[in-house]
Amino acid sequence: MNLIDKYITEVGKHLPRRNRADIEAEIRSTLEDMLEERKQSPSDDAAVIELLKEYGAPRKVAESYVGPRYLIGPRMYPLFEMVIRIVAAVLFGVMLLVFGLGLIGANLSGPEFLKTLGNSALSLLNGLIVAFGNIVLVFAILERVLPAKDFEKELEDWDPKELASEPEPDSEAIGGPGEQIVGTFFLILVLIVLNVYPEWLGVGFFDEGKWVIIAPLLSEAFFSYMPWINILIVLQIGFGIYLLRQGAWNMASRIANILLELASIALMVVMLLGPSLVDMTPEKLAGTPLADVADFFSKGANLLPWLVLGVVIIISTIEAAQGVYRLFKSSPRSPYPVIK
Amino acid sequence: MENDELVQNMLLELRRGVLSIAVLSQLGKEEYGYSLLKALSDLGMEIDQSTLYPLLRRLESQGLLQSNWRIVDEARPRRYYVISPQGRAVLSKLKKEWSAMAATMHKMLS
Repeated sequence: MNLIDKYITEVGKHLPRRNRADIEAEIRSTLEDMLEERKQSPSDDAAVIELLKEYGAPRKVAESYVGPRYLIGPRMYPLFEMVIRIVAAVLFGVMLLVFGLGLIGANLSGPEFLKTLGNSALSLLNGLIVAFGNIVLVFAILERVLPAKDFEKELEDWDPKELASEPEPDSEAIGGPGEQIVGTFFLILVLIVLNVYPEWLGVGFFDEGKWVIIAPLLSEAFFSYMPWINILIVLQIGFGIYLLRQGAWNMASRIANILLELASIALMVVMLLGPSLVDMTPEKLAGTPLADVADFFSKGANLLPWLVLGVVIIISTIEAAQGVYRLFKSSPRSPYPVIK
Repeated sequence: MENDELVQNMLLELRRGVLSIAVLSQLGKEEYGYSLLKALSDLGMEIDQSTLYPLLRRLESQGLLQSNWRIVDEARPRRYYVISPQGRAVLSKLKKEWSAMAATMHKMLS
């Protein structure tokens, strides 16, 4: 096999099987024509080397025939990127939750804390790799299955009149979709735990992988507020989904957001001023492994609502104030620079 | 130096746009790839073989060219290309467009 044969074989490795033989024959014909014109022989290795160098690297020559090939092409990539961001954000949220739950039952000494942190990080990494692989696989299949014509048609059919039904964007877009999804995810989680697994909230420990409760944390007074809590959480979840779909703030969503924040603040203030939200007395801890520190635990538990709700009230107040400020802020400036 | 590179890239884009017309215009009679390359080069249109051959295939797949493998004058087999009837019709329209475009550019640049 001479150098030209080997060169053509190399080019052929990067060509689609369908028309490989035809392209190979044409390249051979051209190379021989070029040698003939130079009055050189295919057996003259030095001349052939010079010719092949001029003709180009086999991969480059093959690429000129087949064009760029994508696993996920330009039409699917923006959607792929968005899905990856959302999944990564949700996985990160789940990891934080798992990490938090792991800390509840763990001994918070240095090595144990680091072990829990390490396990959570490994779980996240593992989850990210698996999710990334699956998403790539799905999009690679879609890239090959979805006809390009549909995509082109969608672009051709785009009508600027549709912009009229879009909400009026004001000063800024909402945070990334990941941020909204993580927020909504946590609200759903809170809703499920408070309504379905309230027994999870209490003083307990992990025993052979199971959460064993010693004393429930929340009082009956707390659960008497559940209908209001549920209504507000459901409204916030619905609002989060609406914002996600809209992609930008508008006057109506800003007002709705302020009202929701104010309603949440009002409920939290009423809850704090009412009967105790926790039911953790030293008597309840008597006879448990925490009996020796019952006083300390009881006082700490009774401070908890003030601490948690206090922080949430402060954050909600800041967000409501920001909402009011943005509501009355002047209309956005043109994104285009002024030509002087 | 930076400008030279910019100019080279722009020229490349410019040439890429007119190559199809140039190739179609020279295939009124049958040519094989290398002879077409030489013909274009003799007329001042230097073109790389890695550009010409894929272009010939593309034009053929669009129905603008026809090709067949033949042995002429006891030489080795070569693939000969010639413009198709559809290619002639397209070339005729492209010529008109090109003339209008060239006139417009001439007005702009003179």
